[in-house]
Amino acid sequence: MPWITCPICSQPFETELSTAAPFCSDRCRQIDLGRWMKEEYGLPIERAEEPSHETQVEE
Amino acid sequence: MTDEEKPGTNRKGAQQPDAVDGPESFGLRGGEYTAEDLQHLSDLEHVRERPSMYIGDTTARGLHHLVFEVVDNSIDEAMAAFATKISVTINNDGSITVEDDGRGIPVERHDQLSEELDREVSTLEGVMTVLKFGGKFEKGAYQTSGGLHGVGVTVVNFLSQWCEVEVYRDGHAYQQEYERGVPQGEVRKIGSTKKRGTKTTFKPDSQIFPNTTFVYDTLLKRLQELAFLNRGVRIVFFDERNHSGDEFCYDRGIIEFVEHLNRASEQLHEDVIYMSGETESVGYEIALQYSGEYTENLHSYVNNIHTHEGGTHVSGFRAALTRSLNNYGRKQNLFKDITPSGDDFREGLTVVISMRVPHPQFEGQTKTKLGNSEVEGIVTSAMGDFLNNYLEENPKSAKTIVRKGILAAEAREAARKAKALLRDRKGVLSGGGLPGKLRDCTSKEVDKCELYLVEGDSAGGSAEGGRLREYQAILPLRGKIINAYKSREDKVLANEEVRSMISAVGIGIGEDQDLSKRRYDKIVIMTDADVDGSHIRTLLLTFFYRQMYDLVSQGKVYVAQPPLFRVRQKKHTYYVQTEEEMKTQLLELGLKNANFDPRDGRQIQGKEMEQLCRALAALEEPLTALERRGISLRAHGMRQDPGTGKLPVYHVFLGQQDHWFTDRAELNEFVQQQEKETGGELEVGEKLDSGNGSPDAAKRLHIVELNEVRTINALLADLREMSFELDALLPQERTGTEEARYVLRRGETEIGLEDLRGLLPAVRSAGEKGLQITRFKGLGEMNAEELRETTLDPVNRTLLQVTMRDAGAADDIFRVLMGDHVEPRREFIEKHALDVDNLDV
Repeated sequence: MPWITCPICSQPFETELSTAAPFCSDRCRQIDLGRWMKEEYGLPIERAEEPSHETQVEE
Repeated sequence: MTDEEKPGTNRKGAQQPDAVDGPESFGLRGGEYTAEDLQHLSDLEHVRERPSMYIGDTTARGLHHLVFEVVDNSIDEAMAAFATKISVTINNDGSITVEDDGRGIPVERHDQLSEELDREVSTLEGVMTVLKFGGKFEKGAYQTSGGLHGVGVTVVNFLSQWCEVEVYRDGHAYQQEYERGVPQGEVRKIGSTKKRGTKTTFKPDSQIFPNTTFVYDTLLKRLQELAFLNRGVRIVFFDERNHSGDEFCYDRGIIEFVEHLNRASEQLHEDVIYMSGETESVGYEIALQYSGEYTENLHSYVNNIHTHEGGTHVSGFRAALTRSLNNYGRKQNLFKDITPSGDDFREGLTVVISMRVPHPQFEGQTKTKLGNSEVEGIVTSAMGDFLNNYLEENPKSAKTIVRKGILAAEAREAARKAKALLRDRKGVLSGGGLPGKLRDCTSKEVDKCELYLVEGDSAGGSAEGGRLREYQAILPLRGKIINAYKSREDKVLANEEVRSMISAVGIGIGEDQDLSKRRYDKIVIMTDADVDGSHIRTLLLTFFYRQMYDLVSQGKVYVAQPPLFRVRQKKHTYYVQTEEEMKTQLLELGLKNANFDPRDGRQIQGKEMEQLCRALAALEEPLTALERRGISLRAHGMRQDPGTGKLPVYHVFLGQQDHWFTDRAELNEFVQQQEKETGGELEVGEKLDSGNGSPDAAKRLHIVELNEVRTINALLADLREMSFELDALLPQERTGTEEARYVLRRGETEIGLEDLRGLLPAVRSAGEKGLQITRFKGLGEMNAEELRETTLDPVNRTLLQVTMRDAGAADDIFRVLMGDHVEPRREFIEKHALDVDNLDV
């Protein structure tokens, strides 16, 4: 299994050796869960735009 | 302990070498014991009867302690700058030899002791046979000597089956032997020597110690520790039994100790933070470094004694650390809602504290806790001043350290919350207590059941109406909008939604997840087909990947593929999933019988027409990307290389000027030229620097690579092969009277076009003829029947099984979009706003 970096502490670790994949430790997984619970994880709102050209079909 | 020679005591105390009195000679003069002699005998008896009072115990710990007692004397000698090397050898017979190159214990007559005993006694004999001799007769010899509370080598001698000391001094070697603490004759001169120092060999008494075997590792560890604590002292260790050994000498002392302790851990900051000083005769030396570990690794020493139980020096250090880091974090605005406690700042801390305290008071169960109250204030104030300065001067390390503390605080809080959540789940939600919003399926056959996580309430309504009630459950989820940063809104999964998901899925959360308790065999994520929907999908996938890893790895998570278009053709209705697919279909339909007249005598149709349209279709995306940068094709066309017909790819800013280049070679040539002119290397900046007239601004290079232009260049070449130049893509100025520049004919219809870019939309719109196309703006626009037909019914739907790779990719995107730091995140969003399509997972 490959090495990945823990989403919380950014430490690289071997996924096989962790009991809390994809985190390095149960502690980091817990921090992550805490952040979900505290509504700290969000993504920017971007309304989908219709792709538009400056040159439109005329007439 | 004993080493200050007194100027007035120069009378030879050592007797002639041949004056050996036999084993019974100890203290006997004229057949009578003096009171002092009796005292000495009873001391010997006392030590041998109650060894634990002197060395703690007679287990392996006490046994090894004997060695350290002797070594400590040599260390004292080294710290007083009289010795540089100490060698410790485990001999073949199980005895130990400790040798240093110090001054050597004086062998002359010791006046005061001789008077008290009323016989000729040397200093050496006093050291070896009189309990607390150092303390009694040599006040202030070493104020901060490390020996075990002053009992020293005497006790070692008393507890040894035999002991031999050789002293090298003034060009001569002297020797005295003891058996179970009793001198076997007086000090003898054994010859001349060039050496200096003291060599002590002893064999612990098996009458005292049940096990007299020395353990290599135990000695090694402590000897290395002593070498760390006493910088510059060379300690050579050798075990004759197996011919192994090691040598330690650390010129940087406890700094190297910290490096050694952290050797296997990731270091959070490069440097070991080090301070030392002395206040009111109390010396302190502290070295520390943070690692990625979660535990504290603290080693504290007072006069080389390992203070396992800590004490005033440790509490003083901790108080300063917590206070300084908290002050710094507050000043720098690093704390959001949590302020780390002292414990939080101890996570990952590796620290060595080494104190020199003149009159240490040891307390605690094992007498390894420093009690001197004055030490606490001394350490707090010195460490505080030092650390405040350090943090100001090293902001990078400072912030890393404070962030580590914040993470620790967060972990503590998260652990508490997680416990509360589990309690909550047991109390409120268990026993069939499922989330109120869940529309559960009727079947209990887990292998056939599916849970649809549907974004948006109206979509949830359609899904509820359209589902196959027996096997499909619907959990509507709503993103919650929060103001994340000044100028941006974020969509998050509300706390309640996260809880609902956890309890609906049923496998639990955290350590004790049990996949076999899942309530459904498929968890299907169903979101709108727009950017917002793709973000919610990314959030959900990230959540499952991180918090329900097994669910994903066992292939239980899916993504639904709702259609984006409904197409009605007379009485026939069908659905199209993606924008791309729709465009392709329309193009194909529009190309039928289409004929393009570029007004140059050609009539383009059939295969050639198809080729032209495909090239134009491929141009759409890169052109849009270019225009989103605020660069129009017309403006960029002006920069076309007349020779190659290529448009520039590199936009280079240098100082107040900007330049364009079509390839790397050109760019490199320019950079070299500039470097020649300005002298010195140009600095490559990550961000466009406003410069503000700073002298370096003229040397700051910022390169923007317009990757989409590479694609545009390739397609322009394709068009050129079909005899269309870039100009054909740009609308021309019209005088109003002449005919259209190009004409698209399809059957009877003629459409005039002002440029080539208009061709594709015209063909597509021709393809739309006879079709009624509805674009679903969201899932909610589909009615229950449509949703069932396209997305829910297993007969028609397409479900994408989420692989670990997919989920990992979602996590990656999420990490960048939702980084800890605002800056990189904003940069990423700005950068990727151009190719927002790539965010689709």
